[in-house]
Amino acid sequence: MSNPLPNKTISVRIDGELVTAHEGQTILEAARANGKQIPTLCYLKGLSAVGACRVCVVELAGTDRLLPACTTPIQDGMSIKTTSAKLTLYRRMAVELLLVERNHICSSCVSNSHCELQSMAQSLGITHVRYSYNNPRLQVDMSHPRFVLDHNRCILCTRCVRVCAEVEGANVWEVASRGIYSRIVSDLKDDWGHAHNCTGCGKCVQACPTGALAEKGQSVHEMVKQGDAVTRLATQRAGQASGAH
Amino acid sequence: MKGAVKEVLDAHERLLIDQAIAKHGNRPGALLGILEAVQSANAHKYLSMVSLRYIADETGVPPARIYSAATFYALFNLDPQGDNVVCVCRGTACHTRGSRDLLEKLCLDLGLSEHEAGETGEADKLALTTPDHKFTVRTVACFGQCALAPVVEVNHHILSHVNERTLQREVKALTKNGGGGK
Repeated sequence: MSNPLPNKTISVRIDGELVTAHEGQTILEAARANGKQIPTLCYLKGLSAVGACRVCVVELAGTDRLLPACTTPIQDGMSIKTTSAKLTLYRRMAVELLLVERNHICSSCVSNSHCELQSMAQSLGITHVRYSYNNPRLQVDMSHPRFVLDHNRCILCTRCVRVCAEVEGANVWEVASRGIYSRIVSDLKDDWGHAHNCTGCGKCVQACPTGALAEKGQSVHEMVKQGDAVTRLATQRAGQASGAH
Repeated sequence: MKGAVKEVLDAHERLLIDQAIAKHGNRPGALLGILEAVQSANAHKYLSMVSLRYIADETGVPPARIYSAATFYALFNLDPQGDNVVCVCRGTACHTRGSRDLLEKLCLDLGLSEHEAGETGEADKLALTTPDHKFTVRTVACFGQCALAPVVEVNHHILSHVNERTLQREVKALTKNGGGGK
């Protein structure tokens, strides 16, 4: 992941301010390195970026298209806007569509007040949803001795898929089917408790931004996730891997 | 568990899977080729859970990734298919020429319910099989034969300008022949 050669320094404009970035960084990395905040949902530092949630979209001067900051490499001379009325509109729409797709009922959720989806909705000023709810009938997988998977709260950010494949190396999770029928599955849609690959490490639970993956025995708003622990682990591992050369 | 898997899978099928894996080797993208070969070699044209598990064991591809690929592509079936496959086009041109009525009539004649597919039943990827495994009714987004709308494919043979009577006659003929579809 880390380039042994020192990266070329480039200069870009973020929200009108001239800042320096390094070649090979994404817009998100460059912005965060310069203290600019871009909201994210499916991005978790240390894991690969997939650009699935579209919450991190930014405006780039010279193009009408909005670009996902987490997957777009930064280039010399770029002029980027991280906040605008248009961006808020699109970010809000993306989050509203996530809320519509499953049954997100905060008042009965283990992750209430520690949920990235909830705080994202709050920070975007979503007080109500303009679209009609899908209200799907979804299962809750209680088969694992320590953890629970509640499809009702899943936003398909695939953080669990990536943390399991990239950090734990167990490849338990994957997205099955397509479109609104997409579901997170373990192994061959086995119950999680019977998934042979699962080591029970719980990294997917810590990486999950909502209450979809949670520890058993937690009551409403008791489930506090440690996503930064996943980041720390991934960074340490990347450091070891590059130091071994 | 690995031993238990091999007990359920019969020797003939295991040989077919081994051959498919050997043929496609370990090159990237081999999984789709393997799945396709295994499905077409199966008597009921489907991928059973035991065969998927066996493929995972033999190729080292994570089971979740195999399941993901098998459910992403409409080509792959996870349930046994009927002897005859009737595929109704639900594209725009066929829809305006009454393919919904054709589908409903067909399901009615075969005693299938369009709504029984339940939660996993996908409106855009309908696949219903009669309990006697004689017929499978599927839908497809478009055959690319819109000028011939409405189009119905019966055992990989395209019928054009289909109406309820011609479809009924076709199904009756297949029922009489006992179903020699491939």
